[in-house]
Amino acid sequence: MSDLAHIRNFSIIAHIDHGKSTLADRILELTGTVAARDMKEQLLDKMDLERERGITIKSQAVRIAYKARDGQQYELNLIDTPGHVDFTYEVSRSLAACEGAVLLVDATQGVEAQTVANAYLALENDLEIIPVLNKIDLPAADAAEAELELHELTGASHDETLVVSAKTGEGVEDVLEAVVARTPPPSGDPAAPPRALIFDSEYDQYRGVIAYVRVVDGSFRRRELITMMGNGEEAEIEELGFFSPAMVPVERLETGEVGFIITGIKDVAKVRVGDTITSRRGPAAESLPGYKVVQPMVFCGLFPTEGDKFEELRDALEKLKLNDAALMYEPESSNALGFGFRCGFLGLLHMDIVRERLEREYDLELLTTMPSVEYHAYLTNGTMTVVRNPAQMPAANYIDRVEEPYVAASVLVPSDFVGTIMELCQGRRADFVDMKYLSPHRVEMHYRLPLSEIVLDFFDQLKTRTRGYASLDYEFHGYRESDLVKLDILLAGEPVDALSLITPRERAHVRGKNLVTKLRQKIPRQLFEVAVQAAIGNKVVARETIKARRKDVLAKCYGGDITRKRKLLEKQKEGKKRMKQLGIVEVPQEAFLAVLELEPGDKDK
Amino acid sequence: MGGRGGAAPQAPAAAFAGPVRHVYVHVPFCTARCDYCDFDAQAVGAVGPAEPAVAALFDAYVAAVTAEWELERAAHDVRRLETLYLGGGTPALLGAERLERLLRVFDPWLTARAEVTVETNPDEADDAFASWAGGRRARVSLGVQSFLPALRAALGRRPAADPAAAARRLRAAGVRNLSVDLMYAIPGQTPADLEADLAAIDDVGPDHVSWYELGVVPRTPLARRLESVLGVDVSADDLSGEDERAAMHRRVVRGLQRRGYGWYEVSNFARPGRRARHNVAYWRARPYLGLGPGAVGTVGRRRWRNTPDVGAYVAGVAGGSPPRGFETLDEATLARERLMLAARCGLAVPLVELAAAVDPAAVAPLARAGLLSLHSGTIRVTRKGRYVANEVCVRLFRA
Repeated sequence: MSDLAHIRNFSIIAHIDHGKSTLADRILELTGTVAARDMKEQLLDKMDLERERGITIKSQAVRIAYKARDGQQYELNLIDTPGHVDFTYEVSRSLAACEGAVLLVDATQGVEAQTVANAYLALENDLEIIPVLNKIDLPAADAAEAELELHELTGASHDETLVVSAKTGEGVEDVLEAVVARTPPPSGDPAAPPRALIFDSEYDQYRGVIAYVRVVDGSFRRRELITMMGNGEEAEIEELGFFSPAMVPVERLETGEVGFIITGIKDVAKVRVGDTITSRRGPAAESLPGYKVVQPMVFCGLFPTEGDKFEELRDALEKLKLNDAALMYEPESSNALGFGFRCGFLGLLHMDIVRERLEREYDLELLTTMPSVEYHAYLTNGTMTVVRNPAQMPAANYIDRVEEPYVAASVLVPSDFVGTIMELCQGRRADFVDMKYLSPHRVEMHYRLPLSEIVLDFFDQLKTRTRGYASLDYEFHGYRESDLVKLDILLAGEPVDALSLITPRERAHVRGKNLVTKLRQKIPRQLFEVAVQAAIGNKVVARETIKARRKDVLAKCYGGDITRKRKLLEKQKEGKKRMKQLGIVEVPQEAFLAVLELEPGDKDK
Repeated sequence: MGGRGGAAPQAPAAAFAGPVRHVYVHVPFCTARCDYCDFDAQAVGAVGPAEPAVAALFDAYVAAVTAEWELERAAHDVRRLETLYLGGGTPALLGAERLERLLRVFDPWLTARAEVTVETNPDEADDAFASWAGGRRARVSLGVQSFLPALRAALGRRPAADPAAAARRLRAAGVRNLSVDLMYAIPGQTPADLEADLAAIDDVGPDHVSWYELGVVPRTPLARRLESVLGVDVSADDLSGEDERAAMHRRVVRGLQRRGYGWYEVSNFARPGRRARHNVAYWRARPYLGLGPGAVGTVGRRRWRNTPDVGAYVAGVAGGSPPRGFETLDEATLARERLMLAARCGLAVPLVELAAAVDPAAVAPLARAGLLSLHSGTIRVTRKGRYVANEVCVRLFRA
């Protein structure tokens, strides 16, 4: 039990690969929080996927006992946050649970877009920022340049900027000292009605939802009756405690402390990130600021490659949803792909993670349709239709106008690439807002551009054209009208709903041409000639023809051959299992994959 | 279509059911193995039966086939034979005397108008063989492959043997029913080469032509030899060159039809009344016995294959049962085979007999595309469909 003056709540924020998890590992080692024999890399990243990809998806919180150089004992709560733009809201809530943030920058890379975005998030939450340059042991480190950029970003002086090597541990203790010295202690009121901020939640199949909380005012104890102020959900605290990093139950969580609360609620959607927990007996008058329910931004159809796996996919999505309140899914049926689900995600990484977990943890083989955004189609009768599946865009003659989501994007690049970025953005319907120099060598450029461009290939193009030097961050900015059309793909005259897409009118021809060309290449010849067409409404804008097969017959089949030749045909039939039957056309799964996954990148060829 | 051995609609009969009227005898000996051939055969060297050990082997073989025939006759309902086929291998290698000894075993069991076929290569079609075959009124199937020496050389055949001369010899000796085997899609074979082989047909004037596509499977001895000898690339995948092979096949079909040979099976062409009745029996899924090492027989739901090992076969027959592998054909398998075989020659099959194997929903699109014809409850693969009979069957098969 600590008094407020000896509690420090902080997080480490960084661009991906700048060494956040390594620094956390060193801190846990140095403070003896984790015994050396239990240490492993990326200790706070529990999921296999997190370790493999070197990313953090779920927040973690760990309590560290630290005896500072002033001779006093402090309780440090380190909150590890995700770093990706898809999880910006979770990051902002994690930061709201802290008073200080270690802003970690790779001295070989300098400030990147997520460094900036996270720094702004920290500043918005009034956090004390402790700038730290990492990887100073590497020969490529340019500490002076990176420090200049950090200064531009945070105003930090030379003396305030620490240098470390998270790998070797050099300078790590100084970081902890700075956390103690510079981070203000929590400022809550122990006597006020209790309030705790939920900054993440996790589903445990035996215990239900585990809420990660920061007690802002008052205190909570076991068996206390509580209310979630955002949605009115009521429950009793079954257990509460802190992470060390294993869960350690306690009788009370006091003002300023970070820990967990378990209530037996089974649904993460009822224990929402950003919501406020209060006591039912003596409730707080107001919830903590900043609560919102995050909405999915990117949508795609997920279909099992084997038709009979639909129920398994449903079960798997249900289970993932238990731990992922932002995941949305609804059943969808496609003439091309059968029964599946239209799923909504926070962004492309989120989509990728869900798909990969479905395939790895639930052993499902999936076909994914091209990701799309949520369009708002305003109809001539005055109503608005939400379109998450391009195939469901109403016919053009019913539409008054279509609006699409725009984002405010910030791109950080070495100044040499300013021209490259401008050129790229011009081709992506992006409006330039402004730019500013972080240092003579690094520029931050601001744009407004359609989210659909990012979903299509903007990030890939950005990386390719700047040889990996550019970084991107963005946030939702609002809906804007665009001149969009629905492009349909027809096989032998039949529309293939899974391949419909919504595209700016001026690009429809090119995309149509590329799609039909690719399909012609990927669909094997059939017994009949097959027309592959791209059409806007009734107007065909591109056409290719798959020629009919001309020869497929065994040369010989006499008495001694029958079994062997029959088996050849049976094998040929077996090969058809990998085909989707669309009307009279058999389309290999590979053709769908090729079109769905490669099409965007090919657009500029 | 119609006439004897033709494709007239037939009374429904279960596949391979009923009494046996067709016998195949496998003669598994060659002077040398041809690397495009996938039949069982044992090379006995150029000296052949002049070698005493080979002569003894041949005699033992003839005795064993005779014994197996007795065993089979006891085991099945065997009626008078409509066809008897001596295939190989190179049956003519046995020599006229042994061939005669072998055929005499079957003579009492042949119908008056039975078709008796003997295969031979030009090399073995010497005067002795020719006069024996002519006297026997045997149907002779001559393995020509190509009349052009260069293409025969590409296939590893001795270019010296003149197939046209062999054919003339057989005709002169009184062979009334002569068939020649030819090949197309030989690497390096030009359209002009194909025309030259067609022109040679005019000279030789066979009654029947089997003209096969040469299938070169990558990484086989044939493929390696063609690559090293001709410098052609045969490693490409299956579908490449489909159009070229299709064009050659169509050229063969057209060329032979113009010359009066009806296209009655994928690779087989005949003057009127000269279809290979033995092979037509296979395609109609009639029961047949297979005698000799490596031979396959099918009666009812049972199919068996003798061991290809000549020594083991001879010893096994002597002991009352040659080593065999068996296969039991279930209803769906029989139906698939029935369809696969009928598709090769455009035989009409009642749909009810194919119910176990065919998805009725698949019929209509194929019929619309002109690949199938649907008539009073029977389906028939059209001539257009015959070129793509594999895919037509596979489309029709139930999933």
